[in-house]
Amino acid sequence: MHEIFVTLGFGIVSAAILSLSAVAFTLEYAVTNVANLAHGEILTVGAYAAYVVQRSTGNILLSALAAAGAGGLLALGMQVLVIDRFVRSRAGSLLTFVATVGIAFILENILVIIFGAANVAYTIPQSAPMQIGPFLWTSTELQIILSALAITAALYVIITFTKFGKALRAVFQNRELARVTGINSQFVAAATWFLAGLVAGYAGFVLAESVGTFTPYFGFSFFLITLTATVAGGLGKPFSTMAGAVIVGLALVFAAAYISSSYNLAFAFAILTVVVLVRPRGLFTKPGRSMFE
Amino acid sequence: MISQFWVDYLVSVLTEGAIFGIAALGLNVIWGWAGDFDLAFYGYVALGAYMTIVLTVGQPIPPSQYIIGLQLPYPVAIVGAIAASSLLGLVIGLIALRNLRGIYFSIVALGAVYVLYVITSQYVPLFNGYNGVFGLFNPLGAELNISFTDYPYYFLFFCLIVIALVFLFMARVSESRFGLVLRSLREDERAAAAFGRNIYALKLKAYVLGAAVGGLAGSLLAAYLTAFNPSAWAPLEVVILYSAVLVGGKGNIRGVLLGVFVIFILVQESTRFLPDVPGQPNVVPSLRLITIGLVLVLFLYFRPQGLIPEGRRRYHMPGPQAEPSASGDAKLQAASGSLVQAPGVEAMAASAVGPSAGAATITATSARATPAQSAVAPDSLPDILVVDGLTKRFGGLTAVDNCSFRVPEGQVTGLIGPNGAGKSTAIDLISGFKLPDGGTVTFSGANITALPPHRIARRGLIRTFQTPREWPGLTVLENVLLAKFEPDQETLFRGLIGPGLGHRSIAERDLARAREILAEFGLTTLANERAGNLSGGQKRLVEFARIRMAQPKLVILDEPMGGVNPVLGERMAEAIAGFVRAGTTVVVVEHNLPFIERVANQVVVMAQGAVIASGPFEVLRSNQTVIDAYLGNEVGV
Repeated sequence: MHEIFVTLGFGIVSAAILSLSAVAFTLEYAVTNVANLAHGEILTVGAYAAYVVQRSTGNILLSALAAAGAGGLLALGMQVLVIDRFVRSRAGSLLTFVATVGIAFILENILVIIFGAANVAYTIPQSAPMQIGPFLWTSTELQIILSALAITAALYVIITFTKFGKALRAVFQNRELARVTGINSQFVAAATWFLAGLVAGYAGFVLAESVGTFTPYFGFSFFLITLTATVAGGLGKPFSTMAGAVIVGLALVFAAAYISSSYNLAFAFAILTVVVLVRPRGLFTKPGRSMFE
Repeated sequence: MISQFWVDYLVSVLTEGAIFGIAALGLNVIWGWAGDFDLAFYGYVALGAYMTIVLTVGQPIPPSQYIIGLQLPYPVAIVGAIAASSLLGLVIGLIALRNLRGIYFSIVALGAVYVLYVITSQYVPLFNGYNGVFGLFNPLGAELNISFTDYPYYFLFFCLIVIALVFLFMARVSESRFGLVLRSLREDERAAAAFGRNIYALKLKAYVLGAAVGGLAGSLLAAYLTAFNPSAWAPLEVVILYSAVLVGGKGNIRGVLLGVFVIFILVQESTRFLPDVPGQPNVVPSLRLITIGLVLVLFLYFRPQGLIPEGRRRYHMPGPQAEPSASGDAKLQAASGSLVQAPGVEAMAASAVGPSAGAATITATSARATPAQSAVAPDSLPDILVVDGLTKRFGGLTAVDNCSFRVPEGQVTGLIGPNGAGKSTAIDLISGFKLPDGGTVTFSGANITALPPHRIARRGLIRTFQTPREWPGLTVLENVLLAKFEPDQETLFRGLIGPGLGHRSIAERDLARAREILAEFGLTTLANERAGNLSGGQKRLVEFARIRMAQPKLVILDEPMGGVNPVLGERMAEAIAGFVRAGTTVVVVEHNLPFIERVANQVVVMAQGAVIASGPFEVLRSNQTVIDAYLGNEVGV
């Protein structure tokens, strides 16, 4: 019984990180209809920004803010300089998707030039694990869980109750219609990407904290798990995505604990395959019955 | 005097270029022709390389571990590599192509290659984990008595022969009917299914063909590198291959080779000579990759069609205006000019002025004769299509509700009803594009309920769509040519050996028929124009020409007058009469009631998902239910 709670406790931490990354990815998709393959690199850049600040100041809060800020600015830059131009030139979502592959490639290699390809790590003092209910968590893990809950709550308020959130949902439903009804869809898209970038950058920081070490390629491998969670939850739907992330996060941790941790990506892909074959629009939708429906 | 260093360098660059050229030609089948953005592609190259090595080397010496180790001759290993990559492509394609398109397909493909990468690097007994497999030195060198120093030249020569053969193979496929059909999937899948193409099977064929060519490239790569390990193929490496295909011009095999030259040789090699930054070994290779990424993004934005775009294949058209001139506008004008001169147009223009006027005609007591009226009473004719109790629900909404009607053979049946009556959904259900929740569809005496669209089309039931679904990147002639499903002519094998008579890639008989039909519809001058450049009305004419070419037993036309200048009405009515004369039964969905009155022998009226009335138009004219459904109680007095 004890062992299950240890695994479950770790699973909650993983699910928290994954849900942050996945909700950011789904928000990016929601307003531009573009699956951003360079999403993983936003996490990586966030992790390295926190690394730089942590090295010079040693302050964790400042590091976290740096990660979020760097992620936000990077996502905003991607949206304004590249994605928005592609969307406006009616390039088609597949062409834009290919462009994000190129961006991922460029960002990874810029990071290699600046930081090298070797592993780096933060130096954050770890507290002894604390007993909370049946779970054992370190202070870092508690910080991850609580901040993920807080961010989720903030996103919920923004998307559900604010005028901006309403505009965001309108743009997701129908970009053209939103535009002709006077919503500045370009602004909504840019603001949403900035918001998503903040979340993704922070997710990169907590992921790096949780994993321990990272390289310029680490965001990309986590991106595949993010994709699985997002597709399982439903692309473009923030809260279904987070639910998908919790399911996938827990499933992967249990698979790692009871089968093997070397094949995490393979397990993620297995889940992804089953989901796209059975419920291509997400676990919380009705299954499509014909290819053309 | 060129130094030996430069000769060796040139040989290695050309060898690499040839190998990646082969891989790019394989990727072009999947991405350029079938239109699937396959992020798994480099996995097939890698598997080919791994398999070649483990097939040619002996048993592993501990601590090395790998499978097979049979010391087979290199040519056998090449075949084995191609087979392994094809098989993997088949498995991934079976999963990913089943019902996934666009980014969903790419995501699953990316996942698949990543898993492959994880397994090959983590599971040591397969290909020796991170250390990889090695030991393939100068294959066949000893057998053919080639010295160590001469071997690179021979190997380059071998690679050039292979790429030449692959190029000729691809050139043949490109010009064949099989190649055209693949492109039609890329251009519009629904239209391809509506004209009898099994999309899943065709996409799978293209995918496996591409994977096989990737495997071939891999087996050459293995011989060139002598070893292979996971660091030789970080999954994002495929981006380099993508840049090459995109920069050159996807879909165009010459363009693809040019792209390989530009990316692999110009960009890669020019950056190789940048000075090294002391203590920073990563800078130069990373700068090279950044350059490639930038080239990819900039090309996608400024020139997505590539340096040499996929050309239009021009076919000879008989007649004085046969050779298309550069002035497309002049041709378009000439074509519409000929439409204005069509007989009876003025009379048609007076009556056909859109649906609102049409609705008014219902209540009026105009005694205009219906010229298409047949002398035979519809009741005495056999029914070619019987729809019985068809039902479709979307969540809480029942779009088609226990809908039943019959279509007598050899007649024109109008299907009318207000917006939201469920007409288009009913057509989707009949033609297999949506699956019904209940009811049956019987066509020519056979139950076709819930068959996939291509099977229904092959039985002789063809439908059109509310918006014309032409294949925009194909020419008008090709659009018409491909309307006829020719199972024997469209296989890859046929594409390679030619259609049988003569040496042309497309059967002359089909071309002649397509030309004849284009002439009939006044489209001869536009034959070699891309269909996507046509006006709305011209696209409708192409759609009609396709039906003529397909010669189905039954055609369902979904709002053929939608978005069309009423002047074209006369021509459309004539074309429908022509279909009937050629033995095609017609169902036409239309809001333009005068048009229906003119062309249809009888009319089926739908409202709120069900059939509320059917019979000759003039009888329904006075039917209060029909008037209410169209105009509401208050108005329809």
